[in-house]
Amino acid sequence: MIIEDLIKFITSLSPGQMVAYFWPFFLLDMTRYVFLDFIVIIFYVPRRILHRHKYQQARNLLYKERPLVSVIVPGKNEGKHIPKLADSLSKQTYKNFELVIVDDGSDDDTAVICRELEKQGKIDCFIRNEIRGGKASAANTAFRYSKGKYIVHLDADSHLALDSIETILLPFYMDNNIGAVGGDVRVANAEKDIVTRLQAIEYLKSISTGRTVSSEMGILRIIAGAHGAFRRDVLERLHGWDVGPGLDGDITLKIRKLGFRVVHEPMAICYTNVPEKFRILAKQRFRWDRSMIRFRVRKHRDILMPSANFSLTNFLASAENIFFNLVLDAKWWIYVVQMVIINPSLLGYIFLINFILYFLANVVEFIMACVLLHSSLRRKDYALAFFLPLIPIYTGLFLRTVRTYAYIMEFIHGASYYDKWNPWKVSRIAKEEKL
Amino acid sequence: MRQPYYIQSANSEISCAGIQTIAQDELQNINSDDVAYWLIDMRIWTEGWEQLCKIRRNLAPAVYLKPVLFLIDSDTIPQEIVTASDGNIHRSSCDERILEDWVSRVEPINQWIEHLPNAKVGSDANIAFKVLRIITSRNVELEPITTIRRHSGYVYPLLEPMFGKRDTGVLETLAFLESQHLLNGRFISSAHFCSHCGSAFLNFKESCPQCSSDDIRSDELIHHFKCAYTAEMADFRTGDRLVCPKCERELKHIGVDYDKPSIVYHCNQCSHTFQDPKIMTACYNCGRTAEPEHQEARSILAYTVSAIGQNAADYGLDALFTNILDHELHLFSEHAFRDFYRIEMSRIERYKRSTSSLVMIRFHDLDKLYIKLAGKAREVFYELSTIFKTVLRQSDVITAKNETIFFVIMTETSAKHAERAAERLQEGVSALFENNLDFKPAMSVRIREIHPKLDIDAALEDFLENDN
Ligand SMILES: [Zn+2]
Ligand SMILES: [Zn+2]
Ligand SMILES: [Zn+2]
Repeated sequence: MIIEDLIKFITSLSPGQMVAYFWPFFLLDMTRYVFLDFIVIIFYVPRRILHRHKYQQARNLLYKERPLVSVIVPGKNEGKHIPKLADSLSKQTYKNFELVIVDDGSDDDTAVICRELEKQGKIDCFIRNEIRGGKASAANTAFRYSKGKYIVHLDADSHLALDSIETILLPFYMDNNIGAVGGDVRVANAEKDIVTRLQAIEYLKSISTGRTVSSEMGILRIIAGAHGAFRRDVLERLHGWDVGPGLDGDITLKIRKLGFRVVHEPMAICYTNVPEKFRILAKQRFRWDRSMIRFRVRKHRDILMPSANFSLTNFLASAENIFFNLVLDAKWWIYVVQMVIINPSLLGYIFLINFILYFLANVVEFIMACVLLHSSLRRKDYALAFFLPLIPIYTGLFLRTVRTYAYIMEFIHGASYYDKWNPWKVSRIAKEEKL
Repeated sequence: MRQPYYIQSANSEISCAGIQTIAQDELQNINSDDVAYWLIDMRIWTEGWEQLCKIRRNLAPAVYLKPVLFLIDSDTIPQEIVTASDGNIHRSSCDERILEDWVSRVEPINQWIEHLPNAKVGSDANIAFKVLRIITSRNVELEPITTIRRHSGYVYPLLEPMFGKRDTGVLETLAFLESQHLLNGRFISSAHFCSHCGSAFLNFKESCPQCSSDDIRSDELIHHFKCAYTAEMADFRTGDRLVCPKCERELKHIGVDYDKPSIVYHCNQCSHTFQDPKIMTACYNCGRTAEPEHQEARSILAYTVSAIGQNAADYGLDALFTNILDHELHLFSEHAFRDFYRIEMSRIERYKRSTSSLVMIRFHDLDKLYIKLAGKAREVFYELSTIFKTVLRQSDVITAKNETIFFVIMTETSAKHAERAAERLQEGVSALFENNLDFKPAMSVRIREIHPKLDIDAALEDFLENDN
């Protein structure tokens, strides 16, 4: 009966009414995430196949030059992950790299583990900062002691696909104007439980597909710290990273401001471990969402203002992000209020139809991800499809609630100045200086 | 009333009127009860030192234990030499009153010597025992002093002259006595010694863990809070100010706008960057290089005599091998041994039926064994005695020259049979040490058939002189 009623309700709507009732989906989410992605992917996939020889050319150039690549891994209390990481690096197809680890004031046995690996020659340079300085300071320390022409920034809690270093370097050999390349990040512990599976689908959508599309449109706004490659000369001009949180997005934007292109390379794969509990995931996202506000709205507001070095794509990269995250976050609450006012009795149907629409959109997005990434996907990745019905709940309710809360906290308290990633001494200065 | 005795020497005339003079070889022959102290002229201090060494290396308690005073006229004598005496008298102030004053000051030492059961006739062959006695007699804490003139870096001035080149080291002997609970040690310092030559003069240097070069430099890291720029202090240094190369601000107060999270080293040879420099030590004496953990680390102690030590100083060390051997086998005195020899020789000459043999045995590293065995010495020496017991017969006569030299008369035994016995002894000793320690004391044996023409004194003398 419910289904019959539902069908009756849907068929009674004119196309105009349909859009009016479900405008967030049709006007915004479908347009941005389904339609736009679809258009870009339609062009990207055949072109990638047609340009195979360009990749081969780049690979030849890379191996002809064989530049030293510095893999830098700053972190605190990450010692337990390092032996596995060093091991996975030793199996890389590209061999001319050095591993630089910076221990940012760990209070566990990280130093002991790393000194031992250093003695065994598995770490080329290990620097321990007795006093914690925060993520940016640790990354800058690693950068200071790296010698490579390219810097690959990794999180300790991750491992690389065997050809990852080679693949992430290829874009540099295809376009001299590329300053940084983002590597793909996939979920290593997807099979663990439902929390990690949902995140695995989310990563395929938002990172693998999302960033490829942004990159194609020239509006990529983040090179993940978990997996990103930088040209040494570019990092030198910037003198490395600035105080976080959100330092990944920050440095990406600065590279763009210098006039360099930043691109995403979906085939350079890094597997990372994601939170296995909703509670921990919520905390992680709370942190990420707050930093979005801080860095895009506060620190880089110049990019939104017309000025001498105004760039349309830089403007779009930021504006798009702010709009779709911040403004569209508000739109949902407007929508809910609107629906309650118009006809509270229809709420059930509205919810159900929205659920179905978003479910279908996710199916389409998942298929697009499969088409885009097919050669790098494993059978178990396809099996994630069974969890697609849960995604509208996960993104629509769980993530949205966390995000709204984070935005409110940031606007009210500027809470991210006291981010746990930075020691208090750094946060205090950042707040004083209005960074 | 005891008198000071001035030790005669070739180059010094008598400078203090009315004082008895005595030649070095005569020391044993005077009544020690009359001697207050030996006075050594230090005008040529190297000669004076020789005199002191001769006294302290004498085996007679009445000689080596006696107080020694230096008669000095210059302040240029090295510290470890001037402090080796029991006291010093400046020549300019040397008069009767001073000399007499010293007689009473050293009286407690003389009284202690006097109370010893064997002070006048005895002979203390064991260096450890001598050390124990001299410390006990002085009744003070034996403290080391540092010196650059000995490569051990530390000396115990009182003990230095007692030790000849062939004796076990001072530190080892003291460690042995402490291990036997005869001395109590008080920690003074710890020191590293070259594991090869024992030198205390080691150059500790930081070196590159990759190429071992010590051509390295270090710098402090600076973290500028505001911009997160982190680099070496040299990168920030502009004239005498620190300016951030990233944000161009001047650094003002450490802990407020910047800090120093660590120190980083660079190798100038292989350009390796590291924080954990490898510490290496190079010996000034023999030039060998090694990691500190491969050098010998020892505690330097000051020593006082324990209650057991005081008792042992009076009555002898019952853990000494000779004591144990005496208990197990009954050792004859050397005097009695010679008498037995003469009796045996006459018997052989008279009946012309028997052959007997004189066996001379020397353990070469028994001194080292004391140190190596420490608390286990007694136990091992009992086993060693058992070996002697199984090889020798009731009718054999045995004496000990000192801890390491033994003479045996094997009655009714041909040189050939004696040789076999000596072989069994050697085998037994080897087996004992092979099973217990990775240490084998070398042993030399000489066998002479006893006949009227064999002069015992000459034979023993010859063995002592020529078997080194
Ligand atoms: Zn080196
Ligand atoms: Zn700065
Ligand atoms: Zn040496």
